[in-house]
Amino acid sequence: MKSKIIVALAGNPNSGKSTIFNELTGARQHVGNYPGVTVERKEGLCRYNGIELQVVDLPGTYSLTAYSEDELVARNFIINEKPDVVVDVIDSSNLERNLYLAVQLMELGVPLVLAFNMSDLAKARGYEIDINKLSRFFGARIVQTIGNKGTGIKELLKAIVETAENGSLNRERKEKETLTNDLSSRVSIRGARKVTLTINYGRVIEEEIAKIQSLLEADTSIANRYDTRWLAIKLLENDRDLLKEIKSPKIHKQIEKSRARIEEILGESAETAIAGARYGFISGACQEAVRSTIEIRHTISEKIDSVVTSRFLGPPIFLGLMYLVFHLTFTLGNPPMEWIENFFGWLSRTIQRWWPTGSESLLKSLLVDGVIGGVGGVIVFLPNILLLFLAISILEDSGYMARAAFIMDRLMHKIGLHGKSFIPMLIGFGCSIPAIMATRTLEDRRDRLTTMFVIPLMSCGARLPIYSLIIPAFFPQAWHAPMLWTIYTIGIVVAILVAKILRVTVLKGESVPFVMELPPYRMPTIKGVMIHMWERGWLYLKKAGTIILSISILLWAITTFPRLPAEERARFEKERLTVQAKFANDDKEKTARLTAIDNAEIEAALEYSIAGRIGRVIEPLLKPMGFDWKIGTALIGAFAAKEVFVAQLGIVYSVGEADEESETLRQKLQNSYSPLVGFCIMLFMLLSMPCMATMAVMKRESNSWKWALFQLIGLTIIAYMLTTSVYQIGQLLKIGIG
Amino acid sequence: MTTSGTLTASLEDYLEAIFHITAEKQAARPKDIAKRLKVSNPSVTGALRSLAEKKLINYAPYDVITLTDEGKKIAKDVVRRHEVLRNFFVKVLAVEYHQADEVACKMEHAIPKVILERLIRFVDFVEKCPRAGTKWIRGFAYYCDHETTQENCEKCISLALEEVRQRRQKGGSKTMNLAKLKDLKPGQKAKVVKVKARGETNKRIVEMGITPGTVVEIERVAPLGDPIDIKVKGYHLSLRKYEAEEIEIEKL
Repeated sequence: MKSKIIVALAGNPNSGKSTIFNELTGARQHVGNYPGVTVERKEGLCRYNGIELQVVDLPGTYSLTAYSEDELVARNFIINEKPDVVVDVIDSSNLERNLYLAVQLMELGVPLVLAFNMSDLAKARGYEIDINKLSRFFGARIVQTIGNKGTGIKELLKAIVETAENGSLNRERKEKETLTNDLSSRVSIRGARKVTLTINYGRVIEEEIAKIQSLLEADTSIANRYDTRWLAIKLLENDRDLLKEIKSPKIHKQIEKSRARIEEILGESAETAIAGARYGFISGACQEAVRSTIEIRHTISEKIDSVVTSRFLGPPIFLGLMYLVFHLTFTLGNPPMEWIENFFGWLSRTIQRWWPTGSESLLKSLLVDGVIGGVGGVIVFLPNILLLFLAISILEDSGYMARAAFIMDRLMHKIGLHGKSFIPMLIGFGCSIPAIMATRTLEDRRDRLTTMFVIPLMSCGARLPIYSLIIPAFFPQAWHAPMLWTIYTIGIVVAILVAKILRVTVLKGESVPFVMELPPYRMPTIKGVMIHMWERGWLYLKKAGTIILSISILLWAITTFPRLPAEERARFEKERLTVQAKFANDDKEKTARLTAIDNAEIEAALEYSIAGRIGRVIEPLLKPMGFDWKIGTALIGAFAAKEVFVAQLGIVYSVGEADEESETLRQKLQNSYSPLVGFCIMLFMLLSMPCMATMAVMKRESNSWKWALFQLIGLTIIAYMLTTSVYQIGQLLKIGIG
Repeated sequence: MTTSGTLTASLEDYLEAIFHITAEKQAARPKDIAKRLKVSNPSVTGALRSLAEKKLINYAPYDVITLTDEGKKIAKDVVRRHEVLRNFFVKVLAVEYHQADEVACKMEHAIPKVILERLIRFVDFVEKCPRAGTKWIRGFAYYCDHETTQENCEKCISLALEEVRQRRQKGGSKTMNLAKLKDLKPGQKAKVVKVKARGETNKRIVEMGITPGTVVEIERVAPLGDPIDIKVKGYHLSLRKYEAEEIEIEKL
């Protein structure tokens, strides 16, 4: 008897798998990533009768083919990590489709427990299920559960533990047998099962299965790892991932021949025939074991849909809900964000006040500008993220998310994206960080990466201060609104183009079929929504937070070091002293002069620092866009956060702490640059490298630095090329240089 | 036809052979006949003489052989009996083609016209009658191989009954009302006939339960006109029209 049992939780999306997982493990969960893919791995612990159960929540899948990353991850986990028990969570109000996965698990020969979830709903729909009969058909224990009420969890745990015990007993027996009887001592994954339950695929397919199976048996390297019948079926189904495992050209030839023969005789592809046989088995089993007592013509869900997705009311309801989501995330998120900002502002002021005066120590600067600034920069996004995921959890758990995709797909598909890309893109206008995290609702990797990649092109809220500084500085009143509108539109257009280009280059491939379930509407549970919200917030703090913090400290360092040489500092100090002596009587004039000297010193310090030097070094590179080193230095600041661009520009123009309303700064900009350059600044800020927090989240969500850097560099190159052409053409045509 | 009763089995085989050879090469030579029937040249000469005496063939030594009208009639009859038997073996008894052909060759001479007509009608009947049909024969083939039946009887009969009703609804015609899933209007029901999509798309469609034989109902079209919402196996699924175009259905 093992003291620890590994349980894999499988199931269709929308089967209530996460509620079962939450009921089993409570708050004791851990979220990580499977190596190399964007799929998350969720684990949790629970105890039953002194036995510890490690529950792994596999991604929700409809099948176990290599169709998507999710399915591959789920399958590989079951095959490679050999969990003691696999629990398949099944929506019992939608038995046939849900049992398709169960059939595949059954064929895989793993110790299986079926959790017939939402059994109250099935009863309400008038289904009477003969559990014993079905249990015999599938060779697995069946437990009826109601996830959101916690009913049947005890029984489920009991079934899991008992199945695991039987499984290990059988496995031991089988291993002994194979050691004594079978010379090749083959231990297959089927070894753990009592009776081998198989589906009869009919004469034609069975013949081909046998042919392939006999070839596979001869290859010990394969036969040791897989159940050969299961593998033969998968190969006939043209499973890309498993086909790669087969090295022998003879077997490949046989597979080709077999597939051709099946198609010739049955008139349908092998995949179709095999899936048809599986569904045939299911419908046979259901006909025997399930009775429908009442016939319901239209469920409540269908009635809701006849309004919510209807031609006339659908779009307005959708837009209204989207407005609510945006409003909830950003408007409601604003006050807490201000509290956080105020708190960190207060904290740094307090530290500054308590710091022994006179010693302008580096440590203070590191603490105040580097660490506190950095931590504040991480936490400030938390209200947005939590609120957005509150909204998204409700939309997803209620079933509306699928309808949103259903309504928007026509439009989004035209630009090479998926219906579900809409919400992340919309959120992108608020902030890229929660937006990139929201792409999690997209199942397909390519859809997801494309959407994440173009999200920074949706002009985020942090870029608004830049526009509000620049537009009034260079353009007459009447142009303000159209100018802003133009900038936002350019972002959208470039996003569409970039998405299209990605789709035909790096992320090319067969357009993913939009075969999406429209699950019945359900009431989201508070527990589920809270856990989801907490999980996202925590992951952001833990994973993205560390990256953001380290980059902020790095940015602090390059804007601080090397410090002004001592003689320079002494010169500013001397100036201050002369001013103090000269205007001892005129307080107003004295303060003004002193501030000017302070600003000049800060400007000199920034110019002297690495950031300033980088600005100078890259100046020739920026020239084609009409930028000088000052803008270059400010751009480096903008990497910390887009709005920092304004403050940095204030420093390099010696106007001190400037914000987007600063008329002095506008004046200085107007004197130094033409309106064309002003426009180019906005264009470049819109398109170029996303801020470091975006990059950190991109790294976390794509699970690879490669994509984060590709986005950073790719977008910057696009921005560079576009801005350069705009500037050069503008110069040539003499537009906006007067 | 009076002479046909008096012809021996061997002579009928000769007539049949000459019929096939003339069909291929316009005229037959004794050498070809000997080769086809795997007999010696002298025995061919003897048989040809006797056929010529009965005025069934035009035969002169060293000349090509052709069938007379009477000979043609008898030959056709023999060929037909052969084909009927072979069809019965292959289509109804699920015997392999070559074996069926060989046995038919031996049996064709003994079978009387009345029984032959009955056999022809039987094959026809089995193919047409809803209680039998091609599916029923496939079931028989399965029974022969496995010594057990594949499906449960009530289900099979109810399916057959359903087919009859469908056929009657369409005015008794056997032609199916084929269309593409894309072309259906909201509220219409259809049975999936074939999923033409290839690769991953095909796999996903069939795995979600849209397998041949499944009944689907169009629920609605999205407001912007593209994805459609269909009901299959009691749940709702959305598909792009592009994918729905690949699914052939029969309107119900």
